[in-house]
Amino acid sequence: MPLLELDRVSVSYGPVQAVREVNLHVERGEVVTLIGANGAGKSTILRTISGLARIGGGALNFDGKDISRQRPDAILRLGLAHCPEGRQVLARQSVEDNLLLGAYVRKDLDGIDRDLESSYQMFPRLRERRLQPAGTLSGGEQQMLAIARALMSAPRMLLLDEPSLGLAPLVVEEIFSIIDALNARGMTILLVEQNARLALKHSHRGYVLESGQIAATGQARELLDDSRVLEAYLGA
Amino acid sequence: MNIALFLQNILNGLSIGAVYSIFALGYTLVFSILGIINFAHGAVFTLGAYCTYALAVGDFGLNGLLAGLSMPFRLPFPLALLGGSLIAGITGVLVERLAFRPLRAKGADALLALVSSLGVALIIVNLLQMLVGAEIYSFPSDIFGSLPMAMIVKVGGKVLAVRTVQIIILAVSMVLLVLLAWFMNRTRMGKALQATAENPETASLLGINVDRYIVSTFFISGVLGGLAGTLIGASFGLAGPYFGVSYGLKGLAVIVLGGLGSIPGAVLGGVVIGLGEAFLPPDYSSLKEAVAFIMLFFILLARPQGLLGRQTIQKV
Repeated sequence: MPLLELDRVSVSYGPVQAVREVNLHVERGEVVTLIGANGAGKSTILRTISGLARIGGGALNFDGKDISRQRPDAILRLGLAHCPEGRQVLARQSVEDNLLLGAYVRKDLDGIDRDLESSYQMFPRLRERRLQPAGTLSGGEQQMLAIARALMSAPRMLLLDEPSLGLAPLVVEEIFSIIDALNARGMTILLVEQNARLALKHSHRGYVLESGQIAATGQARELLDDSRVLEAYLGA
Repeated sequence: MNIALFLQNILNGLSIGAVYSIFALGYTLVFSILGIINFAHGAVFTLGAYCTYALAVGDFGLNGLLAGLSMPFRLPFPLALLGGSLIAGITGVLVERLAFRPLRAKGADALLALVSSLGVALIIVNLLQMLVGAEIYSFPSDIFGSLPMAMIVKVGGKVLAVRTVQIIILAVSMVLLVLLAWFMNRTRMGKALQATAENPETASLLGINVDRYIVSTFFISGVLGGLAGTLIGASFGLAGPYFGVSYGLKGLAVIVLGGLGSIPGAVLGGVVIGLGEAFLPPDYSSLKEAVAFIMLFFILLARPQGLLGRQTIQKV
């Protein structure tokens, strides 16, 4: 049984159908990438999974439980964390307070301390800036904070929306090596990316979204070699 | 101006300003989390004052449906103040349920809640009038037990009157401000509340139940409103069910002057306006109600975002 399963999921914003009958699944331990043009509905799918957008039809299961009518906070408590587009760090609060708020749903103080320490080990720059307001960090640092904060809830799966958006190439490399490292430690990841080629290189499988529908799916390697995908999304 | 008169004005200004601050904090908390003004806040202020009066004094006057009735018990003033404020807090929660949540659940424009909260305000005020009439209620002089009404202090040969209610107001305000600052900056709940105020959607992704925090905010806001109403009532009496309206408007002036959504701004704004009113020369006392708005006008000319407001930066 897949960890996350979308069965004919549709989402509408008013009269506009943003996502139409999407079938998608993510197995435990996989990194799966969702690519597609701007406005194809990639973010909407992530927002629907985490409960921010209301599902219009179809079934949405996480770890065998129906989560289609759950609030975002309840879904996070089940172990599904969403690192949103544009990072959305709490600009006025300190780096450390952002991280501690990431652990808001947890009660195990020792575990929180341990995970805070391992966040700082994974992202040494966050330790240097731990008392600074998060709004004063650079874009790359904010993205690292957003990922670290999502991990502080000790999730079983991570939704990552456009982690490379607006970052310098070197920083993008760094972000993707973090994704590899997380996956090597067993984290299941569903990734949405503009940078399709790079994302597919770091994924097991991929889905291509076109006007709210799945246009193609397959192993990441196959999609990278597929001439249609290449032309439409990889800019080759 | 002699030194005694100067000190008298400072004392009067600080004590009334402290009440304005407490009242305005109720506005500002809701504003910081929802981005809109709760127009029922003035009505909650009035209701809190009447409830404290009922609990402490126990009679309902000569008009209205409750005329001639009296409460079977009387509470000492501190307990009545607590009770009245709690009822005001619960009313705040009801205001959220009736005027704000249904619109939010339907995804309606946030501005519509201005109108629905104004509607709830009218209902509360008219219910009060129906129950206890439009007459003036005053707390009796022995309301603070054996404490005298005022102390006379001589400064440089001149007389300075320190009213007991002023001391109580200043003490209650100090305790409240320290508690609020501790709650907002030192507790997990306070930080979650700040996160909700900064970005409700992100807060929900962090596992924060945003609706529950909105309800808590309305409760705290209502308690602050009820406290302020009671303290004003104890100072100047309860001048009919509409007496909260002018304070409601003045409270708006306070938060705009201090900076919308800023907690220190609400405190500073209240004190500034309180002092401004106190230092108004007696010949111009008919302009007292206008002082807040005149100050607002000139301060906004210099600082459009208010004294401690953040300059809003539009992100592209």
